[in-house]
Amino acid sequence: MPILNALRELDQILRGEKTKPEALQKASLEISLRQILVMIILLGMLYGLCMSVFSMTQDYPGHEFQIVASMIKVPALFLLTLLITFPSLYVFNALVGSRFGVVELLRLIIASLGVALAMLGSLGLIVAFFSVSTTSYGFMILLNVFIFSVSGFLGLKFLLQTLHRMSILAAREETDSKAKQNEAESPSPNEGQNFEIEIIPESAKETGPLAKLYGPILSGEVKTVFRCWIVVFGLVGAQMSWVLRPFIGDPNSEFAWFRPRSSNFFEAVMNTFFNLF
Amino acid sequence: MATYLNQADRLLRPRERQLPTLQFLPLMVLFLGGFYGAIMGTYGGFTGERLWQVLYSATKVPLLLLATFSISLPSFFVLNTLVGLRSDFGKVLSALLATQAGMTIILASLSPYTVLWYLSFENYGQAIMFNGLMFGIASLTAQLILLKFYRPLIRQNKLHRLMLILWLILYAFVGIQMGWVLRPFIGSPNEPVEFFREESWGNAYEMVYQIFLRALGY
Repeated sequence: MPILNALRELDQILRGEKTKPEALQKASLEISLRQILVMIILLGMLYGLCMSVFSMTQDYPGHEFQIVASMIKVPALFLLTLLITFPSLYVFNALVGSRFGVVELLRLIIASLGVALAMLGSLGLIVAFFSVSTTSYGFMILLNVFIFSVSGFLGLKFLLQTLHRMSILAAREETDSKAKQNEAESPSPNEGQNFEIEIIPESAKETGPLAKLYGPILSGEVKTVFRCWIVVFGLVGAQMSWVLRPFIGDPNSEFAWFRPRSSNFFEAVMNTFFNLF
Repeated sequence: MATYLNQADRLLRPRERQLPTLQFLPLMVLFLGGFYGAIMGTYGGFTGERLWQVLYSATKVPLLLLATFSISLPSFFVLNTLVGLRSDFGKVLSALLATQAGMTIILASLSPYTVLWYLSFENYGQAIMFNGLMFGIASLTAQLILLKFYRPLIRQNKLHRLMLILWLILYAFVGIQMGWVLRPFIGSPNEPVEFFREESWGNAYEMVYQIFLRALGY
C-alpha cells in the first residue's frame, strides 16, 4: 500500500530516525519528497474535514460546499505559503554561503511541514468534537487559530533543531579534516583532541527530533536566515489563511469560496477575541 | 467475578511486574462507570419514564470517560513520538487506561454515599453539587494512581513529567466540554427524561465565562 509507505516515512521523521546524527552524516535528510507531500495533503484534508464539521451543524445556504472548500484550502494554505516564502529562503541561504542545494533545502522544509501537519491532523478529532457541540462561531475561530499556531510552532521547532544538529555535524567534520591536516603537517598526538566536540552519546536513550544536542553552532548566518524565514513564514501563513478564508464558515452569511478583500488576519483575530463575550 | 476483583485490587496497589491486564481496563470503565451512572440516575426514582434516566446515566458515565480518552489520545501519541518517547508509549497507555479504570473503581466505592444523599435530601441543585463533589474526589484520587504508574517513567526520562502535565491539560479541556454536552446526568425532576438536552449544544467555556460575568454584576 503506497499510503502505508508514506505513513511509515512520516512516522520515521516523527520518531527522529531521519534526523539522528548518524543519518544526517551521510548527506541531507534522506526522505522521499513525494511521500511526505502526499501525507501533508492527506493530513491537511483530514483536518479540513474536521474543521468543516462546524458548517455541517449550521444551516445557511450552501453550507455543504464548505466541506469541499475546507478540505482543499487547508493543504493549499501550507503549500501556497511555502511557495511564496521558499524562493527568498533559497536565495538568502545561498547568499550567506550555506551548503544546502534546492532539493536539500526543500526536503528539510517539507519534513518540518510534515511534522506540523501530523500534529494538526492528530488534533483534528478534538476540533471535530468541539465543532459538533459548540454553537459559538467565535470560539471555533480562536480554537482553530490556537491549534494551527501550536502545530506550526512544533514544525518550525523541528526545523531549527534539525538545522542545529546539521551545523554541529558540519563543525565536527571540519575539525576532523583540520585535525587530519595538522597530523599530516606536524604529527603531534594531542592537537586534534582540543577540537573535539562532544555529542551526548545516543546509544542509551532514544532521542526525539525535538531533543537538544549540545555543541557549538558554526554557521551563525545560516541560522539567522532561517530564524528570519520562520517569522516570515508565520506572518505569510497567517495572512494567507485570511486570503483563503472562510475555512470554518460564518453561520450568519452565505457560503462563498472566497470573501472580498478587507481587513487583515491580526485585526480579525483581535476583533473575534473581544467580540466573543 | 473473583478475577475482576483481583484485577481491581492490583490496580489500586500496583507493584512491580504485577500490573493489571490491559484488556480488563476498558471493561472495568464500562461496568463500574456504568454502575455509578445508574446510581446517579436514580435521583428521580424508578417509576415509569424515570427508569430511562437510570439507563441513560449508566451509558453516559463510561461514554464520558472513554470518549474523552479516545479523542485526546491521537494528539498525545504524536506529541510523545515527537519528544522521543515512542518506545515507552505502551506503558504510558496502560498508565492512562489504569487511571480511567481506577477512577471508576473509586466512583463505584463512593456510590453508597450518593444513595444515602438521595434518600436524605430532595433538592436538585444540591444533588448536582454532591455528584460533582464525588466526581471531584474520584478524579483527584485517580491522579494518585496515574502518578504511581508515571513515577518510574519520569525517573527514566524527565520529559515524561512535561507530557503528563500536557495530558492533564488536554484531557481536562476535552473532558469539561464532553461533560457539558452529555448533560443531564442526573435528570431534573421538572423536565421530561431525554438522552440529550435540546439546548445543551452550547460551549462549556463560554457558559462559565458568562456565569462569571453575571457574578461580577455585568
